[in-house]
Amino acid sequence: MPAVRADKLYKVFGKRADQAVELLSDGRPRDQLRELNVTAAVIDVSFEVDAGEIFVVMGLSGSGKSTLIRMLNGLLEPTAGTVEINGTDITTLPSNELRRLRSRHISMVFQHFALFPHRTVLDNAAYGLEVRGVPRAERREKARYALDLVGLEGWEDHVPEQLSGGMKQRVGLARALTADTEIILMDEAFSALDPLIRRDMQSQLLQLQARLGKTIVFITHDLNEAMRLGDRICMLRDGRVAQIGTAEEILNAPANEYVAQFIEDVDRSRVLRASSVMEPPTAVLGPAHDPRAALRTMRDNQTSSAFVVGSDQTFVGVVRDGAIGEAGRTGATDLTGLVDPGVERVHPDTTVAELFHRSAVTPHPLPVVDDAGHLVGVIPWTALLAALASGDGAGSGISAGSPPARAEAGAGATQRPVESEEGAR
Amino acid sequence: MSAYGSGYAIDIPRLPVGAMFESVINWLRNNLAALFDIIGDVIDSSVAALSGFLTDPSAAQLTLIACLVIAIGLIRRGQLRLVGVLVAAYLALVLLEALTGAVTVVISSLPGALFIWAMNLFGAAYVYPPLVLVLLLLAALLVTSAVRTASRHQWILAAGVTGAWLLLLIGVYIVGVQFELFAVLIFASLAWFIAGWRLAVFTVLGFLLVISMERWAEAMSTLALVLVATGVAVVFAIPIGVIAAYSDRVSMLLKPVLDFMQTMPAFVYLIPAIAFFGVGQVPGVIATVVFAMPPGVRLTELGIRQVDKELVEAGEAFGAPDIQVLRGIQLPLALATIMAGINQVIMLSLSMVVIAGMVGAGGLGNVVYSGIARADIVLGFEGGIAVVIVAIFLDRLTAAVPRFSPAARAKRMALG
Ligand SMILES: Nc1ncnc2c1ncn2[C@@H]1O[C@H](COP(=O)(O)OP(=O)(O)O)[C@@H](O)[C@H]1O
Ligand SMILES: [Mg+2]
Repeated sequence: MPAVRADKLYKVFGKRADQAVELLSDGRPRDQLRELNVTAAVIDVSFEVDAGEIFVVMGLSGSGKSTLIRMLNGLLEPTAGTVEINGTDITTLPSNELRRLRSRHISMVFQHFALFPHRTVLDNAAYGLEVRGVPRAERREKARYALDLVGLEGWEDHVPEQLSGGMKQRVGLARALTADTEIILMDEAFSALDPLIRRDMQSQLLQLQARLGKTIVFITHDLNEAMRLGDRICMLRDGRVAQIGTAEEILNAPANEYVAQFIEDVDRSRVLRASSVMEPPTAVLGPAHDPRAALRTMRDNQTSSAFVVGSDQTFVGVVRDGAIGEAGRTGATDLTGLVDPGVERVHPDTTVAELFHRSAVTPHPLPVVDDAGHLVGVIPWTALLAALASGDGAGSGISAGSPPARAEAGAGATQRPVESEEGAR
Repeated sequence: MSAYGSGYAIDIPRLPVGAMFESVINWLRNNLAALFDIIGDVIDSSVAALSGFLTDPSAAQLTLIACLVIAIGLIRRGQLRLVGVLVAAYLALVLLEALTGAVTVVISSLPGALFIWAMNLFGAAYVYPPLVLVLLLLAALLVTSAVRTASRHQWILAAGVTGAWLLLLIGVYIVGVQFELFAVLIFASLAWFIAGWRLAVFTVLGFLLVISMERWAEAMSTLALVLVATGVAVVFAIPIGVIAAYSDRVSMLLKPVLDFMQTMPAFVYLIPAIAFFGVGQVPGVIATVVFAMPPGVRLTELGIRQVDKELVEAGEAFGAPDIQVLRGIQLPLALATIMAGINQVIMLSLSMVVIAGMVGAGGLGNVVYSGIARADIVLGFEGGIAVVIVAIFLDRLTAAVPRFSPAARAKRMALG
């Protein structure tokens, strides 16, 4: 059961809203509704958000994001369609149950913070529990805990006006955390902050999320923010869904021209991860390999080093041709003593930006090793450059999880497979 | 006949607007007389009680005021529940005494020595049960202050209030100083506490001038009339303003009504008011309420509409019911604007005082009106000066009240 489910949601403002929904569901664009004198803010939006996921809704100003998020907690009633929270259809709930649902299950963080100026930071944070009727001492203790979580200990007795923008929004976050709901809605929560502070807040949100595992619906008009935070992203255009997918899916396979244009200026190095730019490892040897045969494999693959894996692909290390040359003189019969196990290795989730400086200090392609210690791919320098060269080439890598055996097409570790370059188009 | 010729004047029918109004009034008077009698009695007795209290309070009333101040201090230090219990017990005893006289029985069964000394000291002929009860309440509040709060401020407050109360009783009932002088001191300390020392100085000088002009009783009667009229106006204005803030339709309907109420010459209200309530204070209060209410409604509506929409939404997003959003977010943040409205209501009420004097509402209005009627410059001018002094006192006092709102306190904290 998804935590949040929207099914064919419509929100049309105006008297003849129902008529407009009919026309819109027949595919009429929203700017051709002028004669009805209505504003169609959200049109036929469906998605599911799983528990523990950060789901980002991304779109330009006026694309209906705020309207959409306000239908998720019942602040706005949909014109058509349903919203389910933990399996309950909230569009049919009476208003007192809706309020109960909001106070127990869904809290919200606002673009302009919406802190109560006449309450202290502590009482602001405790607001959700106050509404719920939790005794003063208990709610204050929980609020204090949440304020500590967001790094505001010592500010409890100040008033919001005494805080900077970033601190105010941390109070907003603490207010949502104190309410102790499993779902948090964040409407452009970081948009009003300076870029540097915004990055801080994003990092802090990700850290908190790793600890708390909330279900977060995050709204933004900033694609970089969307890609950084979102497990999945829903791109809205003029009230309709343009594409839903992970950051990499959207970057690598934009669903239409609009999305493609949008992702042009994304800082791809911070979005793309090792798993989507890595290539299948070539020149892979077992530890029992004969050194001279190893040397031949390297020559065939036009490289000066080979990756050594144990049984079931467990990464052991790298062996270089120089080491084997010396071994020839000492008469070693396998690679065990020649492997360098201390080489740099990277995780599949490492961002390309980080891969750059790691790659710069490594003479051979970077081995990508997953949590289980398996060698899942390698990243040569050229793959990094190609990944950033926007659009057409970005889909070349193998996707995370696919076995490294899909290697025949590669002519060599330093050359990119031709076949998948076409596949990206 | 027109000077420009004859025969072509268009005949415009005479609409009996005034007559229709009169018949409505007559109908109301004939059919709802009982209701108007009740309203009239309530207003009359509240003005009389308040004005009596302001000119010549009983010892029990003074003790009650002392209790009130101490209780407010206790409530602000988180003792709401205990204070509630004490006050409830007190009210129950008062009710018991009023219905059965049980307290009187208990008192007369106690040894007389307990009371004789006090009766002798204050020259009282008998033990007055309500005074005994309120003394018990005061004692209970003092004990609570001493035992239940660790706050030095509360102790100082309780001791100070009790000391002032004792001095007042001794001064008035044993030494025999007139109560006016103490009243001036009480008003001045109120002014000091709420608005600062400047207004306190003004209050002392101004009210002493009123005493020296021998207009104290009239000034207090006017003050009572204004306070009751303002109270009634506010009780109607704030809920109406809140409803208007919530509903655009009500707001739209209300606008012309409020304009009408405010622009109709104030004298006109006196005519139907007299028809309903006869001459005296009541028509004065009613006319004043009608004339003075509009700014209260308008500024309440404005204040609530001005509250940041996102804040109201935040309340709703955390599941707060409308009433809680209103009480916890909208009203506190609109308080400064609402107080500005109340301030205007008071000022308009005062401007009605002289007009109300024409229908026998008494007080300073009567003084001024007599001055006009007899072309007596001394009388008129002195009455006018007294009105001005009361007006300035009330204006500055109410203007300073928003300082105590949570929003203003937060702003002060923000400034350092
Ligand atoms: N209460 C409303 N009445 C009429 N139109 C509205 C209302 N709220 C939003 N809209 C319109 O709906 C569209 C989407 O608005 P919104 O959801 O606020 O977009 P976003 O948050 O993406 O900027 C806009 O064209 C806006 O003018
Ligand atoms: Mg928005």
